[in-house]
Amino acid sequence: MEGIWDINKIQEILPQRYPFLFIDRVISIDEKEGKVTCLKNFTANDYFFTGHFPGKPVVPGVIMIEAMAQASIIGYAAIKPEVASKHPTYYLGKVEAKFKRPVSVGDQLIIEVKKEKIVNNAGVVTAVAKVNGEMAVEAKIMFGVILDTQMIADGKSR
Amino acid sequence: MSDTGDYKSEIKKLVADIAEKTPEEITDDAKFSEDLGIDSMMALEIVASIEKKYKVIIPEAEIPNIRSLQNIYDLIGKLLPK
Repeated sequence: MEGIWDINKIQEILPQRYPFLFIDRVISIDEKEGKVTCLKNFTANDYFFTGHFPGKPVVPGVIMIEAMAQASIIGYAAIKPEVASKHPTYYLGKVEAKFKRPVSVGDQLIIEVKKEKIVNNAGVVTAVAKVNGEMAVEAKIMFGVILDTQMIADGKSR
Repeated sequence: MSDTGDYKSEIKKLVADIAEKTPEEITDDAKFSEDLGIDSMMALEIVASIEKKYKVIIPEAEIPNIRSLQNIYDLIGKLLPK
């Protein structure tokens, strides 16, 4: 499968790195519709399977939410490239999620994010994550974007 | 499409749900930030929900001016087809 963003391009936008980067490839971007599709492969080498759970690997729900949040950043960057290019700080505001099935070793998570509203300093998106076309997680995600890191230090993030 | 009376009560309920209050606790002139504890991200959630429900686009420049239910009524009154 040809990805339109490889891991190098992804790392130009996402500030996360190992062991907390959960997007392997961006498959499609539709700036006009505000839609992106990303892919994450889970393997036996993923560190969290050591403890979650011994002998019964299940991807933690928080990891899937993080993957969807990272896909949301890519969606933001597609719509607001001029802000994203300045490497702002992204933070989660609110997540409403439903988990439909467990995700495990060998599963390929396809994450589709669609904007509800994106402005310079925040975004609201809907996201779904599927394995083999089967719904694994659906979520509504709200996030903030801060350009001035001093505001974080001062505790004035909102 | 809702008529004027309907959209006001619908928007009030929508704002109340996001602010985690009952509609009765919210007056039309209550200040979102000071009186209701609605921060900028909740305000954006309100805007996104209104856009989706009424199929309108609220310009980004208008969002900082949304400080009360009355502000929203005025804005939606302008945006909805007459």
